[in-house]
Amino acid sequence: MGEPLPTRWFDGRSPRGRAVQLRVEGDELVLEPLDAERAEPPRRYPLREVRWPERRTHGQRQTELPDGGLIQHADASGWDAWWAAQGLRESWVVGWQQSWRATAAAVVGAVAVLLASWFWGVPVASQFVAQRLPLSLDERIGRDGLAQLDRALLKPTRLDEARRQAIERRWRAFVERAHPEGDAPAWRLSFRDAPELGPNALALPGGQMVVTDQLVELLHDRPDALTGVLAHELGHVRHRDGLDMLVRASLLSAIVGVVFGDASGFIASVPAALLTQSYSRDVERRADAYAAERLDRAGLSPAVMVSLFERLATARKNQDRDADGVLPIALASHPADEERIRFFREWAPER
Amino acid sequence: MNNIDRLGEAPGAPDARPPVQTLPIRFTGSGSEYFRIWIVNLLLVLVTFTLYWPFARARRIAYFQNNTLVGDDPLGFHANPWKMFRGYLVVALFGLAYGVTSETAPLVAGAIFLVFALLWPALWRASLQFRLRNTSWRGVRLSFEGDLKGAYLAFAPLLLPVLGFVALGLSAPDLAPGEGASPEERRRMGLLFLGVMALFALVMPWCLARIKQYQHGGYRFAGERTELRAGVRQFYGLGLRTGGVMLLVVLIVGAIAALGVGLAGRTAAGVLMLSGAVALGYLLFPMLVVTHYTAALQNLVWQNTRSRNTRFRSGLGFGALARVTAVNWLLIALTLGLYWPFAQVRLARARLEAMALQVKGSVNDWLAHAQRRDVGPLGDAAGDFFGIDMGL
Repeated sequence: MGEPLPTRWFDGRSPRGRAVQLRVEGDELVLEPLDAERAEPPRRYPLREVRWPERRTHGQRQTELPDGGLIQHADASGWDAWWAAQGLRESWVVGWQQSWRATAAAVVGAVAVLLASWFWGVPVASQFVAQRLPLSLDERIGRDGLAQLDRALLKPTRLDEARRQAIERRWRAFVERAHPEGDAPAWRLSFRDAPELGPNALALPGGQMVVTDQLVELLHDRPDALTGVLAHELGHVRHRDGLDMLVRASLLSAIVGVVFGDASGFIASVPAALLTQSYSRDVERRADAYAAERLDRAGLSPAVMVSLFERLATARKNQDRDADGVLPIALASHPADEERIRFFREWAPER
Repeated sequence: MNNIDRLGEAPGAPDARPPVQTLPIRFTGSGSEYFRIWIVNLLLVLVTFTLYWPFARARRIAYFQNNTLVGDDPLGFHANPWKMFRGYLVVALFGLAYGVTSETAPLVAGAIFLVFALLWPALWRASLQFRLRNTSWRGVRLSFEGDLKGAYLAFAPLLLPVLGFVALGLSAPDLAPGEGASPEERRRMGLLFLGVMALFALVMPWCLARIKQYQHGGYRFAGERTELRAGVRQFYGLGLRTGGVMLLVVLIVGAIAALGVGLAGRTAAGVLMLSGAVALGYLLFPMLVVTHYTAALQNLVWQNTRSRNTRFRSGLGFGALARVTAVNWLLIALTLGLYWPFAQVRLARARLEAMALQVKGSVNDWLAHAQRRDVGPLGDAAGDFFGIDMGL
């Protein structure tokens, strides 16, 4: 079929190229040496066993022969024309890669798949995984996490025993009122002095909740607001948010690894960290909703939380003016204060 | 286009010696074409839950190698993607088993990690064998001939700092919850940690030298087996210069941070300046330190790689590489990642076209060395997993 194609052939044993011509006969590729000093019989290869090159705009065409030989054709378009004339078919992936319109469709498809995994796939998958992991795992991670925090940021509390017990008693009574069905998650309450964190509270996986002395002082005459903060942390415990975020972070870094397949660890870690960060706002909103609902169930108004934000804002302003002490950046991942104040003020039970 | 010159020959030498030709290395890949390959591969990898990965990888390597011209002849890549697929499955299962057990059963995960660490030099060697065996130039397959013992000996110096870290872990005091370490204990642990890190930094160039000597001493093309003529001293020189650049970055970032604190104190503006300095450090560190190291290592390793009738040249400039890297990063950030494949092509061109191959005599007369048995693809998949490549 068609004209034979003059080209260059390597036998796989010597790096010396030889002039040959190619033609297709039936289901065989026939290779005839053109430079032989004495007559050499043509070589025949079954078409099915020949590994054809993929069509591309750039680069030479290399065809692998079953005996280890190689046909190398420098003129790419000449090769493609000859090859198409032989009636051979290429892989649909190759056609796709050469068409800009199909590529545009692939961009849209890839973006759609990525967005779907971001908004739906990752949260659903992480909830699925996190809910199926044993609770003992949460506890171990929480214990390790607290040990690390103790080493780096936290100091033993300076509140006296009586005061801690009073807070814990009040909190225990609240939990019982807020969970009349007795479905409260297991929790443990600890107090720590944290001059670097300032007024703050943390929930670790496994039900360990930590309140800083600074927060207790800030809300010393607003015990209901302190209860609200703890209810927010209990929401994290209830939803197993600590574990959820860990699973989300590993899923995200896996996806980023797929997109930038050959990226170095450093470049890939930055977008993964940024993406994980933005998930945490959703998690905070969910914990706020839990706190509001449980405050209401226990007969308290969710608006008690407003005094927390007001006091935090005042403390921040004072620090700015005094110019000593560090900004409470620990709350930076939470939604903006105004938004949260509005949420707690305007909250109404869905009934 | 092969220009013939007489590099490395004394003027007036008798003409009996074969002439030396310099074969330039060129890269003909295009960003727009690789973009299309990348995006189609990406979609297929995503919708197949990464099962398409080895096929995408085979196509990617083939694109880069087929567009790498040594003299006028491109490199070939011949790996069977189905074989790579099997290796990928095995490594993926290994990784999955580790990921699942690392949080639930730390002892099992530790055992898996230990097994992998012990197998690592063997896997690394297998991945080099697979990659070279499936790479050709002028129809002749390359091969990697480093032996198994050599692979383990190359990594042996790493044992020293690893043992140091183990000792450090064992000597850490057990703390009750809520109790901080005493200041003396903290100081002691800090000093020990610094000591182990210093040991690590001291051993690294030695280890790198051994690894590169093994790697670049094992390449074969036809009758040519390469060796790396760079000694441990040169690798310590590289380590010192890299440390110098690192110190420079630390000084710049530290100066800005100190300036911020000094001028604005601990106010919002001061904190802003401080975090700006940290962000600058994040940018400058890979920009200057990693780029300098990449260029210097490529030049050191390839400039000193030679065989009986060949030697490589590599003159990759720090400025050129830094320019390419800076533009790449800027455009990747501006296009939300879509520039990525273009960046890969630009980077490959900058690195490859800084190199050349010098050949004594005629390549046509070389004969291929008898090929040995096929090397399984498992090593290749493992190598990809951990980001080991040929140093190019």
